[in-house]
Amino acid sequence: MAEHILEAHSLTKQEAQIPREDWFEASETLQHLRKNKKFPTIWCSGCGLGVIMGALIRAIDHLGLEKDQVALVAGIGCTARMPVYMDFNTLHTTHGRALAFATGLKIARPDMKVIAIMGDGDALAIGGNHFIHAARRNIGITALVVNNSIYGMTGGQYSPTTPVGMRATTAPYGNVEPPFPICDLAIAAGASYVARSTAFHALELDKYLSEAISNEGFSLVEAVSYCHTTYGRINKLGTAAEMMRSLKDNSIPKATFDKLTLEEQQANTKIVRGVLHRKKRPEYTAIYDLLVQQQTHQEEIRLRNVGRY
Amino acid sequence: MTEAVPAPTQAPARKAPRGEVVIYATWCKGCTICVEFCPTNVLAMHPSGRHPIVAVPENCTACHFCDTHCPDLAIVVRKLA
Repeated sequence: MAEHILEAHSLTKQEAQIPREDWFEASETLQHLRKNKKFPTIWCSGCGLGVIMGALIRAIDHLGLEKDQVALVAGIGCTARMPVYMDFNTLHTTHGRALAFATGLKIARPDMKVIAIMGDGDALAIGGNHFIHAARRNIGITALVVNNSIYGMTGGQYSPTTPVGMRATTAPYGNVEPPFPICDLAIAAGASYVARSTAFHALELDKYLSEAISNEGFSLVEAVSYCHTTYGRINKLGTAAEMMRSLKDNSIPKATFDKLTLEEQQANTKIVRGVLHRKKRPEYTAIYDLLVQQQTHQEEIRLRNVGRY
Repeated sequence: MTEAVPAPTQAPARKAPRGEVVIYATWCKGCTICVEFCPTNVLAMHPSGRHPIVAVPENCTACHFCDTHCPDLAIVVRKLA
């Protein structure tokens, strides 16, 4: 290992026992990382995105999918750096268009498991129309939306999911716009599987992600994360570990939420975790294939009858 | 003369650890999430404050909190038989 790396971490050779090449073999999760990339990741120290990346890898690994069977599509942003580190087919696209590219990919290769990884600004502000239309078509894409309530990479501007009253660099006196309820939006638009979890509940996230990937229609998994560097600092929410703890304290399971009275449910400000919606609807590529088959069949009949008239 | 009060004994350490924690310190960014959340306080920060060390390895119960919640994938926990 390079001496300057050891020096930067004030380590001796004995303390950093495992050579870099062997670390990728140390667990099943690490075996799915791309070895030629520069590690550690570009994210800030303690960012929840790394936890969500681990959960996604475990979910794919749990389903036993081949690496070539999975395609990860991402737009622009902190979250969109995630596929860079994972050893699957990846597509890095323009800002907000992850679902648009993913739709094209899914129609061309319906056998592939297409996962669109987006941040909240990527999915709902810049790519808002692609989001609702992908849900309306019920195309078999898994959308993983990481909600950290802010545009992290560009310097902490307020996003469509910043809660009312919270500060951002472009809302220094507090945000006045009500946030988008991502899951409700997807349910209303017609998604067939909608679930929400947080970066703290990583094992729960594994479960929802593997259910979403094996679901046939459009599935949305909202992973609530945090941004302690921009959002946390300007709102004085503490370190990464404190924000991680607040995800634990400020979230309730859906089973508990359902037991509350209507007034309590309306007054609830906590994050509700769980599978929020599950509905079987015909999947887009299946309907499209059917249409193509029907039309080809009719064309054959037409061609057969050409000479008879 | 007062009776000698027995000194409070520490909880007896388990016979054997149930898990083995391996930290790859050069990937670690020192966010302290693993140290703050470890339920049995196996981990502690290195005096330099840049990465954790396995302070009490015999307390590990292989709960896999630290390796599932490490944002830099710098921890691996192996379950011991």
